[in-house]
This record gives sequence, C-alpha cells and structure tokens, in this order.
Amino acid sequence: MIEFDEQRKRIVLKLVYYGPALSGKTTNLLTLHDLLSPEGRGELMLLDTTEDRTIYFDLLPFFYVAPSGMKIKLKVYTVPGQVRHDATRKAVLQRADGVVFVADSQPSQMTVNFESFDNLEKNLAMVGLSIERVPLVVQFNKRDLADSVPEDDVRTAWGPSGVPVFMASALKGWGVMETFHEVLGLMFDSINAQHGLTARFGVERELFLAEILTVQR
Amino acid sequence: MNVRKAQVSFVVGEDRRLSEIISRSEIESLLRSLVKAGPVWAAVLDEDGMLLCRQGADTGLVPLEEFRHALLVEGEPQGTLVMAVDPSIGSAGEALALLARDALQFTITNNLKRMLTTEIHTTVVKESYDQLVETNKMLTASEKSYRDLAFSLEQQVEERTSELQKAYARMLQQEKLAAVGSLAAGMAHEINNPNGFVHSNLVTFSHYFERMRDMVNFYQMQIANNIPLHKLHLDSEQKRRELKLDYVISDSSELLKESIEGTERIARIVADLKSFSHVDESGYSDADLNIELERTLSVLVPQISPGTVIVRELQPLPLFGCNPGLISQAFLAIIQNAAQSRTEALKIHVSSRCTAHEIVIGIADNGCGISAHNITRVFEPFFTTHEVGCGTGMGLTVARDIVQAAGGSIVIDSVESTGTAVTIRFPLVK
Repeated sequence: MIEFDEQRKRIVLKLVYYGPALSGKTTNLLTLHDLLSPEGRGELMLLDTTEDRTIYFDLLPFFYVAPSGMKIKLKVYTVPGQVRHDATRKAVLQRADGVVFVADSQPSQMTVNFESFDNLEKNLAMVGLSIERVPLVVQFNKRDLADSVPEDDVRTAWGPSGVPVFMASALKGWGVMETFHEVLGLMFDSINAQHGLTARFGVERELFLAEILTVQR
Repeated sequence: MNVRKAQVSFVVGEDRRLSEIISRSEIESLLRSLVKAGPVWAAVLDEDGMLLCRQGADTGLVPLEEFRHALLVEGEPQGTLVMAVDPSIGSAGEALALLARDALQFTITNNLKRMLTTEIHTTVVKESYDQLVETNKMLTASEKSYRDLAFSLEQQVEERTSELQKAYARMLQQEKLAAVGSLAAGMAHEINNPNGFVHSNLVTFSHYFERMRDMVNFYQMQIANNIPLHKLHLDSEQKRRELKLDYVISDSSELLKESIEGTERIARIVADLKSFSHVDESGYSDADLNIELERTLSVLVPQISPGTVIVRELQPLPLFGCNPGLISQAFLAIIQNAAQSRTEALKIHVSSRCTAHEIVIGIADNGCGISAHNITRVFEPFFTTHEVGCGTGMGLTVARDIVQAAGGSIVIDSVESTGTAVTIRFPLVK
C-alpha cells in the first residue's frame, strides 16, 4: 500500500503488471485504457521509451470515491521486462498490493517466463513481500498466436499452485478485463481483511469493482 | 519476516500535492496571459481550497460570471481553476476557461511525467552505484585476503620446506643407523669369535698357571728342607711328570700366541669399522675410492655368505674430493644388495677404472636381478622388495642422493634372474 490516511479517508493502492520482456504488459494497460470509461480514471502515462520498449514504467491511475466519502486511488504499473532493468523492477514493486504476471504463450518463451517468475519471487522478497501472500493472478497472453502452448498444458502446470490463471490476447482485447477484474477482487479482499474497508469505511466490494470496471460507452 | 535488503529512497507512486507538481511561477505566467485575453480575474486553488495564485482583481462594477474546473492529478481532483468574466463577452468566457484548464492540465501531466522519470532514474542510478560500491568493497576485501594468503603461503612453503629438509635429514640419519645396525650385528659375530677363543685360552692358561705355581712351590719347599741334590733331582722329575709340565708349557706358548692373534684380529676389525665409518674425520677430504671399496668389503665380510666369490678388478684411481664416510655408506648399500641377491654360488664383481673425465665404479652380481616393473622404482624412498621390517627401502635412495651430492650419477642395469650391474660415475673436475 502506497498510502493510507484514515483521517483524510484516503487510501492509495498499487497494482503491478510483471513479466518477461515483450510479453504484453504495456499492451494490457493500453487495452484497459481503451476499454474503460474515462470517468474516474486518469490518463495512461507512458514514460519515455526507446524503440517501443518500456524502460521505466507505465502508469494508469484510477480514482474512486465511495458513497461513504472514502477515497480509493489505484495506480496500475507495468515494469520493464528486460533483465538489465532489475533495479527499476524492484523500485516499482515496492509496497505493491497486487501483481499480475503476464506470461508469453509462445513455446520458445517458457524458460524466459520461468526466469521472470523466479525474478518476481526474489524481488518481492527483497522488498519485504511474500509471493505466498500477495494477491497474484497469472495471465497467459498472446493466445491469438497459432503456436501457443496448449491451454491444457498451462492449466496442468499451474493448477496445483492455486493461482488464478487467465488466457488472453491483449492485442485483440480479450482476457484483459477478466484478469484485471480478478486481481482487483483479490486486492480488495486482502485490504478489506487487513483494514476493514467495508466495516470501518463503508466501501462495498461490488460497487467498487463495478465503478472501476465501468466499460466505456 | 523478510529483511529489506535493497533500500530505495522513495516509493514509486507516492502521492504528490498539486503545489509540488506545478510551480507558482508556472501558474502565474499562465494566468497572467489568461487575464490579458479577457477574464477579469483568474485563480488556482489547491485540493483544500486554499489559494495558490491569483491574477487580476474584481472591480465590483458589474456582476461577474464564474467558471470552475477541477485540476486532476492522476485522475484525482487536486485543485481548482476559478475564472471570472464579464458576462458581456458571451461564450468566449467558457471557451477561455476550458483552454486554460487544458493548458494547466497539460503542464501538470508533463511535469509529473518528468518528475517520475527523474525520480526513478535517480533511484536506479543510486541503487546501481550503491551496488557498485558494495561490489568494489567486496572485491577489495577479497583481493586483500588473497594477498594475505599469497604472503602467508610463501611463509608456509618456507616452513614446510624446512620441515621436509629436517625430516629428510632425520631419515638419512635413520638409514645410517640401520646400516650401522646391520653392520654391528655382523661385527658382533666377528668380534665374538676371537673373543671366545681368547677367553677359553685364558681359562685353560689359568689352570696351567696353577700347575706351574705348584712346581715352583715344590722346589722352594725341597730347598728349604735341605734335601740332597740327587734326591731333589729325582723327586722334582717325578713331580714334573705328575703335573705334565712339559705339555703345559708347550701348550701355554701356543695358547698365548693364539690369544695375541685373536686380540689383534679384534683390533683390526675395530680399526676397519673405524676407518669405514670415518668416525675420526669430519666431512670433506680427498679419498682413494679403491680404499673405500676395500674397507666396505672388509666390514661386509661377516654378512656375505660363505662360498661367495668376490672378484676385485681395481685399477689405480686419482684422489677424489668427497665425503668418504658418505661415499662408503653408498658403496655399502649397493654391495649389501648384491650380497643379498643370492644365497649360494654368489659372485660379486667389484671394479674401478679411471678415464680422462671420470672415475667409474662397477658393482655387479649374478643374483636374482630386478624385474622391469620394479627397476623404475628402486630409487623411490621406502620402496623395498624385502619383507616388512627387513629393509628400510631407503638404501638405494640414500646411495643415489650421496652420489648426486658428490656430483656423480648412478645407473642400474638388471636382467631378472641373471644379475644386476650398478655403475657409478664421478666426473673429475679439472
């Protein structure tokens, strides 16, 4: 959690899209930006990039005011996937309330996915978070590609972990909302359990989710 | 609880107030231009409604129309633009207000972007620098430990080398003692033998001496009793026969002669041993190697089985500067091996000759020989074909070291069950 000001009734949450280079993290954010209503969300901020590659991070902010007056700000970040930008990933990962791991479905990228996930686990530990406890959703992106690893294989591999897994094509725009919806719900539940969002601050889960996930008309 | 290893000085995403993102002067110049374009006054308030900046003043002449627009930071209203116009300017007021809001919003977003970029860049650079400093510190420490190690390694090598040298010196001494021990056993036998018969002779002689004293006492008594001379002659003749003095006297001289020879033999053995061991000399001197060979053979005689033929073929040699005590120890080890190579019909051939450049000593036998497998190992320390406890395995090792120390070389040729020839060469230095 970035900030929690009980007096000002204001909470700032952080969601991080993690994953190997070129797996489609920024595309996820672009798609969310295109799909979701501009009401209550800020502009997508793409920090300087070279050759279309994220080297710092991208930021898509949301702002929700509950009927009780409680303000919830949600900042959705991507990290640079390239191995060399590990320090940036660590910095962005600090105080994250939820993580979406965007994996590349191409068979050639399986090792890279694994290494990146390993890196996520290590960096979470370094910033004082545990992969066991942080709300986590895995998205297998680029399902539109013909040679994607079969879904059954993915489910068999990830099933035992208990981590929710989503199939998506961020480029085509499907699976992105489902991923976002799932992680948002997990994050709400986690914060609610710790701080009593509903009981103490009158924030209703479904209302919150519906508001953030309002689709652009 | 996880310990945070990397300390990052700020958290990406930390919220900022409007006044932290956009400066007063930026707002001021924008509002100043705005007011010039028509509005009576314009102001920006922060999220708590406090005035950040205001341009223009209300004249109070006409009622003004106010426009209010929220300024968003990351989608959250963090301030307000307020603009008042004379309603007479019509719809231009609304258009100006929107234009001004967009201009402010644009500046806010760009400033925020720049701040975020700078912050993350600074953080990453700082962390990378800290890591470099840390790595450098570790490398320096590791380099120091290696340097210390290298330094102490030199010392350790020196210590170990001197330990090894001491151990080797001790081993040499032990080999010498072992050689002396086997020599002593032979010598003891050799000395015991003459000593035995000298002792036995002396015991016999002491009985003879009793008889001679009886004879002398008899004469003294007869003379004291004034026995007539002819009776004395007869009685003494009878007494002399009783005591078998004729035999006693002749045997006594034989016994004494033998005993003297025996003690002389002992003296000779001791002298041989003494000259072989060079116990009176210390270190380096000029030696005739033929004499050393002879001495070695003479002290070895007790250890060589009877019936062994020793052929000497010794040509005159120039004096050779060496440590004779050590050289004869080397000869001893080699000749001892030859002596043990066969129990019956052993023939040992000892030769020496001298060329213009070197002295060549040859010691050959017709014994059991050395197998092709073993011949490469005979100089190895502790290598022995004798049973445990019967040989130190150091004889030839020490012999080689002694020969090499004297500047010489040693070569062994052997054919199994035919015989062995050892050739030692000492170069003559001009």
